[in-house]
Amino acid sequence: MEKAVLTQEEIALAKHCLNFALKEGADKVRITLTKSLLNLVGLLNGEVDKTSHALDRSLQLQLFVADKFGSFSSNRLEKEGLEAFIREAIDTVRMLEADAYRTLPAPERQAKDAVTGRELGLYDPAYETLTAEARRQMALSSIAWPKEGLIAEEGEYSDSVFDSLTLDSQGLEARHTETSFEIGYESTIEDAEGRHFSSYWWDATPRLKDLQLKDCAEKACQRAKDQLNPQTVPSGKYTLILDTECASKVVTPILSALGGYSLQQKNSFLTDSLGKQLFPQGLTILDAPRTPGDTGCRLFDSEGVATREMPIIENGVVKTYFLNTYISGKMEMEPTIEDATRVKVLPLGGCKTQQDVLDQVKDGILVTGFNGGNSNPATGNFSYGIEGFLIKDGKRVHPVREMLITGDFLTLWSHLVAAAQDARPCLSKLVPTLAFTNVDFSA
Amino acid sequence: MIESKTYYFNTFQIDAAALDRLVTEALSTGGNYADLYFENTTYGSLLLRDGAVTSGGNHIDFGVGIRVLSGEKTGYAYSESTAWEDMLASARAAAQIASGPTDVSPYGTRNPSRGEPNPHADRYPIGQPWRGTPMSTFLPFLQKLEAQVRSRDTRIVKVIANLAFQVSDILMYNSDRELKWDTRPMGSVSLTAVFKQGNLTENKSTSRSFRCGAEMLTDALATEMATEIVKGIDDRFAAKRPKGGQMPVVMGAGASGILLHEAMGHAFEADFNRKGTSIFADKMGQQICPKGIQIIDDGTLRGNRGSLNFDDEGIPGQKTYMVEDGVLTSYLHDRISAAHYGVRPTGNGRRESFRYAPIPRMRSTYMESGIAQASDLIAEVSKGIYVDEFSNGQVQIGEGDFTFYVKSGYLIENGKLTQPVKDINIIGNGPAALADIRGVANDLAIDPGAWTCGKEQSVPVSCGIPTVLIGKLTVGGE
Repeated sequence: MEKAVLTQEEIALAKHCLNFALKEGADKVRITLTKSLLNLVGLLNGEVDKTSHALDRSLQLQLFVADKFGSFSSNRLEKEGLEAFIREAIDTVRMLEADAYRTLPAPERQAKDAVTGRELGLYDPAYETLTAEARRQMALSSIAWPKEGLIAEEGEYSDSVFDSLTLDSQGLEARHTETSFEIGYESTIEDAEGRHFSSYWWDATPRLKDLQLKDCAEKACQRAKDQLNPQTVPSGKYTLILDTECASKVVTPILSALGGYSLQQKNSFLTDSLGKQLFPQGLTILDAPRTPGDTGCRLFDSEGVATREMPIIENGVVKTYFLNTYISGKMEMEPTIEDATRVKVLPLGGCKTQQDVLDQVKDGILVTGFNGGNSNPATGNFSYGIEGFLIKDGKRVHPVREMLITGDFLTLWSHLVAAAQDARPCLSKLVPTLAFTNVDFSA
Repeated sequence: MIESKTYYFNTFQIDAAALDRLVTEALSTGGNYADLYFENTTYGSLLLRDGAVTSGGNHIDFGVGIRVLSGEKTGYAYSESTAWEDMLASARAAAQIASGPTDVSPYGTRNPSRGEPNPHADRYPIGQPWRGTPMSTFLPFLQKLEAQVRSRDTRIVKVIANLAFQVSDILMYNSDRELKWDTRPMGSVSLTAVFKQGNLTENKSTSRSFRCGAEMLTDALATEMATEIVKGIDDRFAAKRPKGGQMPVVMGAGASGILLHEAMGHAFEADFNRKGTSIFADKMGQQICPKGIQIIDDGTLRGNRGSLNFDDEGIPGQKTYMVEDGVLTSYLHDRISAAHYGVRPTGNGRRESFRYAPIPRMRSTYMESGIAQASDLIAEVSKGIYVDEFSNGQVQIGEGDFTFYVKSGYLIENGKLTQPVKDINIIGNGPAALADIRGVANDLAIDPGAWTCGKEQSVPVSCGIPTVLIGKLTVGGE
């Protein structure tokens, strides 16, 4: 039986590689050793259609040699082969051009509290008790197939363990271990005219007992049925109500624009935004990376720098850039953290639920999913395909399809009128239902 | 590049007898087909930023994927080691999909690929191998490229140039005793420039990607990419959002092939049809677009990013007509879907790496040239839009609704290109858009960019199209 988490032998090999790289001429070294084990059961129309078993290991090296830098990795974890790989890697780094800003972070910024990897309570020992049959039964426990109108139902149950250890040549040893349990369904229904409508539902959690297996397929099927009989609405300006399931679509570009690489390369619509009131008063977006048991939390970033709770946007004011050691040096600014971990948009406008938001705005278009589109990182302009529902007097009137929203992010956010409190814990970013006025819809 | 069989056996430390034993073990629980996919991929990259090549690296990915089929059900597992015990454990994990003999015998497609690979039929030209050539050899190309870009426009404030290459040794074996091997190169150069004009900032990107060796890094390529990156930047600064709504759309030749990829290519991938989810599931043999139109998915274009000597199930690369004279004639098949439909596999069984089971995927998807002149198609439109540069697309298979994001284009007013436009999404419905093709020009171009398709797994593809007029699509705008 393979071990799902890093073994002492594997850890010893990583430490050997670190010392070997120093011996071979590297000035500084960072090594990240990762291991993951995934088991998956896929369903098609009520029957098991596929199973998958995947064990991955990887050793990533970042080498600093005479002000030069290179990044390398291998999944062939044999000592002799890795030694040859490291020698070649050092030779490769030597032929690159020098970059004085490449260095390890100051040790005092690095995490000291990630010793066992389980400090955040993200590892569930229940994982160790799971059998192939138990996984099969969990996958089958929530099917909706067969059902009237349902022409295809695909489901997937999976669980995984992820274990990582980051070491560097100034003594860092930081470990992170987590389990994940997921269920997801996609249902396709057909109307009387042969048109197809699909939708999905899913749940994920670090603890098996919290996984919402029940009704997952039913919800996917219901969401597909909700799309029957779509109608077009005229192009124009509407209030956009953004369902929590897809609301991160308008937050992620902000985080990207505050990222060091975008800023340093002048490819950001938030250049020179630090400390400025560019978002509406009342909007606060936090990073809360250290909440025990909370999906996606971590004690350190890829440099080993300790995460901390901090505002990203506070009452509309930009409070931080995401600057790792390298970019902060190039920008001559204090380093922060390389990226956000657990983003939370705080409530605004007194609404708790999506219905509260609908009741408040009365009319508009509730967007429940995106179909393609993109944004321009330099200008903040965006255009996305959407699907959702026309809203009148706070109620769904009919589904809408083949529509687009178009605008720019700063203008969009300046029209924010509500942020609810309904983000599901399984979402990678805790962005609740949002409402924006005066948004351009094309149809 | 196709090496000798011994090279692959040595690379994976395996022999013919062990391959047989492994397949036998994989079928021990009653599966009726098994295959092995050995992969040894080396990646290399160099990044030029802020005027210097200060970052680079190498990566190794090695392992074997083992698939067991029981009827149409798939068991899959992989090992990152080819030590016998590790492979055996993976074979047994994959075998769990079967719980006894199945009465389904779906693989009536045997013998599609008997015989050993023929080096003379190799589709990957390699003048200078990536592996074994010192990385320092490649630095001057990036430096020249940056110098050429900066010399062309004083508004450029940043240039990022990235060279990425990979070489994959592949060995495939299956329970039909078919043995195939291949070494697949890929070289890609991507270039981004950030321009500043007054208070306005714009960026432009371009890329080139081919299955070939390092001989692609020529001065001519640097000149070509540098010219392209600054082309149209004045219009980009002048561009505005159009008024949104439904209108005729002229898709420029080349990258507009994303229309075919999103509007129909995915819906023709036979797994979606086998599962009944595709909007084209019951359209085989029907007229789905105007007569005279041929739409192809091609794995045989020499050096093309989407081309393959063999697909990832060992089926020879081939050219597949999906639409002939407007009629849907073939889906894109892997072995499972081919068996389901009782046809031969089309060489579309592809995977991102040994970590994934193969599924039907596109290769190079394009439409053959028509007889119209591109300028005549534009002249036909009184009020519409012309688009020629894209970043990404997406499709909803069930509904057939597709979108693609337009980086640049022009309004068409009274048959002429007028106001530049940018950053708009276009949305349509696949069957409706195909049926609404009003004209096809005689200027087919295959786009040379680094297109990657992300259906469950990432695989390299390419796309192409002649200039095409579509009667009505929904354009995002103000």
